[in-house]
Amino acid sequence: MRAIYLLTLRQLSGRWRILIMTVLAAMPVIVAVLTLRTDNAPTVTEFEKVVFSAMLAGAIAPLVVLAIGAAAFANEVEDRTIANLTLSPLRRWQIVLPKLLAAITLAAPFIVVSALLTSHVAFLGDATATMAITVSALAGVALYAAAFVWLGLVSTQAIGIGLAYIVIWEGLFSGFVSGVRLLSIRHYSIALMHGLDPRRFASTTHLSLGVATAISLLVFGGFVLLAIRRLRRMDVP
Amino acid sequence: MTAATAPVIRVDGVSRWFGSVVAVSEVSFDVAPGITGLLGPNGAGKTTLLRMMTGLAATSSGTVTVFGQPIRDNPPIYRRLGVMSEHETVYGFMKGREFVRMMARLKGVQNLEDAVDRAIERVDLADAQHRRMDTYSRGMRQRMRLAATLVHDPEILILDEPLNGADPRQRVHFQHLLRELAAEGRTIVLSSHILEEVEQLAETVLLIVNGKLAASGGFRAIRAALNKRPYHVRVICDAPRKLAAAVAGLESVDAVHMDPDGAIVVLSRNVLDLQIELPRLAQAAAIRLRRVEPLDDSLESVFGYLVER
Repeated sequence: MRAIYLLTLRQLSGRWRILIMTVLAAMPVIVAVLTLRTDNAPTVTEFEKVVFSAMLAGAIAPLVVLAIGAAAFANEVEDRTIANLTLSPLRRWQIVLPKLLAAITLAAPFIVVSALLTSHVAFLGDATATMAITVSALAGVALYAAAFVWLGLVSTQAIGIGLAYIVIWEGLFSGFVSGVRLLSIRHYSIALMHGLDPRRFASTTHLSLGVATAISLLVFGGFVLLAIRRLRRMDVP
Repeated sequence: MTAATAPVIRVDGVSRWFGSVVAVSEVSFDVAPGITGLLGPNGAGKTTLLRMMTGLAATSSGTVTVFGQPIRDNPPIYRRLGVMSEHETVYGFMKGREFVRMMARLKGVQNLEDAVDRAIERVDLADAQHRRMDTYSRGMRQRMRLAATLVHDPEILILDEPLNGADPRQRVHFQHLLRELAAEGRTIVLSSHILEEVEQLAETVLLIVNGKLAASGGFRAIRAALNKRPYHVRVICDAPRKLAAAVAGLESVDAVHMDPDGAIVVLSRNVLDLQIELPRLAQAAAIRLRRVEPLDDSLESVFGYLVER
């Protein structure tokens, strides 16, 4: 498993990919610095809604994870090196888990550092708020990674489908149709953030901390199982 | 069948179709230790068959067993199996040794560095092992892939077009190595679309044409079957009518007809005799032969004949 983990880290840490991730991750920090130093600085609720809920949880995190997670398998399927892995005496979960872990390892620092810096600027070092934002961002990374790693195994158009999902499902539907929030990774992440620091964040979600945690675990496990099942049943190119 | 005589690989009534296209149809055979050649023209279904034999692809019907166990969704069996696909499944950013070492780790090899040393020495690439693989020639990449395939000392080797991209020297080295591996008691299945390539290596041949098993057995039997097939031979000479009349009397000739352009087309089921008799006859009748050419000597037509028999 260690060999697959290290291999995936090398495969996914291309110079251009890292550069794009860095630019994306820097955006919330730049927005925080620019908006909070003006005379018309937004309120905590406004800032949380626009920067943390919409920008970081709804756009930056899924985009960063999509670029890394979908490629974890999709690149290997495309250049047919996946046969090197599936022709080894490893159970399929022993291939899926290190790939997923490598995707999380690479994506998490970008999102976590972005969340840490942004919340530090916005909440002037409030440790509880910073912890809530960082933990929820990390949970979002893990959930998106599980979904996109599976997607990379299912379709050769994983990036396109992932982008459509981020924009249409997470961006549009989950923002306007309340029932969709029960099936939205972005809203699980927001619910975790609100639940971990209810003092700072007035909860606008329908999910309690306990329910959000339980659903997150179910969704994560579900996508991992789907990926393992797919790898067992697919025709390997 | 006792355990001692059980085949190493058994392909039993295997078919594979993609939508309405049948890639492999009702193929059955057993593979024993030694070198078995899977021969057939491009697009015959060899790769699909090999992919099912290695468990990479599912069968639409039928079963493939290795050492009596199903190959599909059975990872532990890969400890005993080495597979080299026709595609260059290497990571260009890795050095040759790194690649072989990683493959050894994936296969769960003990004494890792010793095994890597042995495998790389076996393919004669020790000098290039610390170079990135994207700087290798195609033949070198193939050899390093073979090292990675051999690193866990598998009992079975399945090689899809392994000599592709190899230069003549590498080809000889490769052939020598495969013979050596077979002599150690391994079971080797290699595919090729080149008749001579398989003839030089394989003791047993499986002929695949249009997804069907056209013939199987020793190479001599296959060769004999090929020599008995009817050949069309086109002859251009300075006296076609005179030659046609004379040729019609030969035992080796089944039919003769004249083309509108003046050439004679001879149908023969004994082309080896015809090769001797035709020049003799022309010389005796003072006829000058300008051109003698087989009309259906492509590999596809040879294989096609075997399917239609």
